[in-house]
Amino acid sequence: MSDPYADDLIEGRFQFGFLRRLWPFVRPYRRGFAACLGILLLSFALEMLGPWLLRLAIDGPMRATAAARDERLRELLWYGLGFLATMLAGALLGYVYGLLTAWNGQRVIRDVRRHLFHHLMTTGLGFHERNTAGKLTTRVTSDVENLNELIATGVLQSLFDLMKIGGVTVLLFWIDLELALFTIATLPVVLVLSALFRRNAQRAYRAVRGKLALQNAFTTEILGGVRTTRAYGRERAIAARYAARNADTAAAWRATVLHFSVFFSLVDFALRSTTIGLLWFGGSAVLDGTLQPGQFVQFWLYYGMLSGPVRELGEKYNVLQAAFASCERIFGLLGEPRFPPPPAPGRAPSPSPRRGRARVEFDDVAFAYGDGPPVLQGVRFVAEPGSTVAIVGPTGAGKTTLLSLVARLRDTVAGQVRIDGVDVRDLDLHDLRRRVAFVAQDLFLFTGSVLDNVRLFDARVDEDRVWQALATVGAAEFVRALPQGLATEVQERGGTFSQGERQLLAFARALVVDPDVLVLDEATASIDSASEARLQRAVEVSLRGRTALVVAHRLSTVRNADCILVLDHGRIVESGDHQSLLRRRGAYASMLAHATGA
Amino acid sequence: MLRTLSWLRSVRRAFGRPLALLRRHRWLVVIGCLFVPVHAAAMLWMPRLFGDTLDSLTTGSAVQLRATCWLLLLLAGVESAARFVSRRTLIDASRHVEQDLKDELVLHLQRLPIAWFDRARTGDVTSRMTQDVELVRFVMGPLLLHGGSTLCLLPAGLWLMLGMDVPVTLASLGVFAVLFLAMRTVLPRLHAWSKQSQEAIAAVSQQAQEDFAGIRVVMQFDRVDRELAAMATKNRRYLLANLRLVRLRSLMNAMTHSTSGVVTLGVLLVGGYQVIEQRITIGQLFQFLGYLGLMTFPLEILGWTLATLPRAHAAGVRIAELFEVAPEADAGAEPELRGALRVQGLTFTYPGAERPALADVTFELAPGQKLGLVGAVGSGKSTLLALLLRYYDPPRGSVFVDGHDVLDLKPSALRRLFAYTAQEPFLFSDTVAANVGFAADDAAGEAIDRAVGAAALDQDLPQLREGLATIVGERGVTLSGGQKQRVSLARAVLSHRPGMLLDDTLSAVDPVTERRILQGLRNERRGRTMLIASHRLSVLTDADLILVLDRGRITERGDHHTLLAQAGAYAAAFWRQSEASALESAPAPEARP
Repeated sequence: MSDPYADDLIEGRFQFGFLRRLWPFVRPYRRGFAACLGILLLSFALEMLGPWLLRLAIDGPMRATAAARDERLRELLWYGLGFLATMLAGALLGYVYGLLTAWNGQRVIRDVRRHLFHHLMTTGLGFHERNTAGKLTTRVTSDVENLNELIATGVLQSLFDLMKIGGVTVLLFWIDLELALFTIATLPVVLVLSALFRRNAQRAYRAVRGKLALQNAFTTEILGGVRTTRAYGRERAIAARYAARNADTAAAWRATVLHFSVFFSLVDFALRSTTIGLLWFGGSAVLDGTLQPGQFVQFWLYYGMLSGPVRELGEKYNVLQAAFASCERIFGLLGEPRFPPPPAPGRAPSPSPRRGRARVEFDDVAFAYGDGPPVLQGVRFVAEPGSTVAIVGPTGAGKTTLLSLVARLRDTVAGQVRIDGVDVRDLDLHDLRRRVAFVAQDLFLFTGSVLDNVRLFDARVDEDRVWQALATVGAAEFVRALPQGLATEVQERGGTFSQGERQLLAFARALVVDPDVLVLDEATASIDSASEARLQRAVEVSLRGRTALVVAHRLSTVRNADCILVLDHGRIVESGDHQSLLRRRGAYASMLAHATGA
Repeated sequence: MLRTLSWLRSVRRAFGRPLALLRRHRWLVVIGCLFVPVHAAAMLWMPRLFGDTLDSLTTGSAVQLRATCWLLLLLAGVESAARFVSRRTLIDASRHVEQDLKDELVLHLQRLPIAWFDRARTGDVTSRMTQDVELVRFVMGPLLLHGGSTLCLLPAGLWLMLGMDVPVTLASLGVFAVLFLAMRTVLPRLHAWSKQSQEAIAAVSQQAQEDFAGIRVVMQFDRVDRELAAMATKNRRYLLANLRLVRLRSLMNAMTHSTSGVVTLGVLLVGGYQVIEQRITIGQLFQFLGYLGLMTFPLEILGWTLATLPRAHAAGVRIAELFEVAPEADAGAEPELRGALRVQGLTFTYPGAERPALADVTFELAPGQKLGLVGAVGSGKSTLLALLLRYYDPPRGSVFVDGHDVLDLKPSALRRLFAYTAQEPFLFSDTVAANVGFAADDAAGEAIDRAVGAAALDQDLPQLREGLATIVGERGVTLSGGQKQRVSLARAVLSHRPGMLLDDTLSAVDPVTERRILQGLRNERRGRTMLIASHRLSVLTDADLILVLDRGRITERGDHHTLLAQAGAYAAAFWRQSEASALESAPAPEARP
């Protein structure tokens, strides 16, 4: 995936694979869809009945001058009532059809969305690092929505249209062979026109969409960059660049206007000419007496029914194309492997309940992202129950990656990560992740209250426990000072909290689950001394009595650690406690000396 | 009377500017409007001809039939041509209006005071620039086209129908009127429900966005099942909202269909009766039906117009609101500036804020000196830089540049004194080179290379597929935070301004690169005044003056060594940071195995 936007440019094409992959979602509602089809058939029949009644009315009571007046009127009334009945029944059927397709189609959509979301939530971290949240969200919302078009417009409506075209053609031939032949002969003209238009309009629209997207992105950009623009006095240059893009888009728009103007005029002219041709040939036939006027009217009305679907075929295809493209993207995502992969048969995951202590062991662990260079190699160490292992080393040494292996956010390429002697891949994932809690450098906040953010929407955790965790890390004070305490809604990007406060909340989030193992990515120091002191205390109380793995940024943390690992280029260069490492005068000692300027 | 007047004024406010823009393309409009009635006339003539032909089938001759057919073909040609011309010209004109309106808007926005952007939400402004402009364009184009054709068709068609049968015409109109009223009562509910449906999908979208962005947390804390359950609830809510909406829509469809069915039936029955009574011919019956058919489109347009106009009006007002914001006044003296700064008892409070952002700040800086600003988020560092750029007006007598009060200087002239890099660097979706050369109109290759070197951006170029020509941002390569900061730094270097304001520009840069950049800047800096706000204190060790800010007040001041000797907040933070960077430093090569 070199181009992150490549799959936005998919040109929708129909593939039979779509139907096969969509079928499991449609299957539960097959009876409903069958009913939809039945209703379509019925409405088709009803629609055919109208012109028929009209023909009978014209050739019967209206023209039968010989018959008695009252008799003719009564007959006319009957036809009228018949006509009314077909109309009302048609409207009713349309109503039921609308409800039924929505009832079934929307449920299919819901199921697809549920399934897709579930799938995406259980793919690996690596996948999410390659795909932005915004893009995946579009897949779950608009792309799934487009699928609805495939079902409602695509399959059902197209079937109806094809049925209509086929049925009407048969009827036309049945009424009058010659006229029907003439009509059918003109259809290709309209079809070719539509096809040509479709191609050009599509190209034009794609150009508009691309340019418009760029222009809108640019609009957002220049609003965001207004301070920089102002600082360098580039207001006019920016406006000129915008104008250039704007002119581009406008030109593309006008190209679509041209296509549409030409198309609508030409197609309408073609359809009208056919009608006039009908009048010419049909009229002659009526004059010759080979065709009844009523039959002629009937033929004419049926022909009118034909032109609609034929004209719309092009338009439908456009809608469908978008749906096909969405299908391809959705099924592409569903093909992504899940993480963790399902366990091998016969290897049931073993439960691993919380027991208050844990022994974490890295045994010759190696890791690499995809086919990339190794990030970790031959990493071997043991964190005894209740001990702290601190990890130090330069950016890019693999520290954060190492942390993510403990709760099995990723799987090792070689070697084992063991908890209490059991490979994490053999443990029940829920149990494992409940035993290992993580404190990130920066707190990720969800929309919701402070309470929900600390307990992560777990209603089983009551407020008392949340307060207790907050008190332990020293965050109770500032949370109490918030306008609504725990119930305060966090603002977008967490603008309510300072950097230090955010880390304290992250600690509280981890402690509230009372984990056996704490994995901590220590925040870098800030200028704020007060929050600095609180953070140091929070680190101390959180680690007390727990097995902990810490990427350390504070000397106090490493000094208190039972074991320090110096990591460089994915390998452990040195390990031991602070005193012993200093005595060794190796890598660790030189790092510290280098920093303090000594 | 008064209400009408204020309504007229509001319409003028909303559509005055777009209409003025439309006047620029008046020839397109005139031509288009000339062809609209031609099109309508051709349309209205056809039912009559069809009807006549139908009648002539029983009595007339083949010659007559063919003559009519030729005439019809001619009419069809005229109709298509007229439609083509009017559509092409009028819609084109509306696209021109859209383009001009957007251009004017952007130019205007570029001149608005920065304080206005602080309050404005980007999403709101962009939606005015896109959706609202589109709505206004609808009025200037499609509405003009279809509305004009409705204005021709509706009265003329009604007149023709009335000429044929007054009671039936009135009755048909009555039925349509009832339908119209019924729709009007249903429409508000439809809007409300569709809004609820949109809100429901927005909730789905928001959760998905958050869960994907925070997938690490969700996985680590084993919250996947909870998120799935929450999503299922939202998904179901959306389903129910949609189904309710569909019920209403289907009902409306059924109503429309049965109404037009009933009208056709009524006409057929009454007409059929009259045919039997030999008061009219079958052809005339179809002529009438033809007119009726022509009326449905204008009636739809009428309903559509009534629904769209208020929205377009509101959109026009929202756009007018943007234009009514007064631009920044760019007036004042333009002396040659060297960059000697004097800040004297500066206290500044943002409009609407309770607490001052800066309180009693005083310092002086000679040209060529380096000032460091240190403090927690919200301590006032960025505010001080913004006041020097005069993004906001400081109180008179508090900020002086080369002895001039900044309030007396022309803002654009003052800004030419400083190169500036924002905390969140702003890059265009353009090449790296264009972003670096943003401030200069004609940056030569060599100058760019030098700036790139000074900002240590050259070390990133090999990773980018096309080096300086690589497109970044939307639809391009995504740069890391540190890389963006270095691009914006190179831009500042290249601008050759006498002064530099760096707002925490090295926060995402690793220590080794930071050292390189500082060295590069020292070479480039000669004689430049520099103000650097930074959380990273190692950046400031060679500053002539460091101010430690706490909630807008200076709590410590001095150069690096004095501050260390004071052993206050600065010293504590400095030692903590050296610890952290020590633990992140690379082990010496000889220590490696």
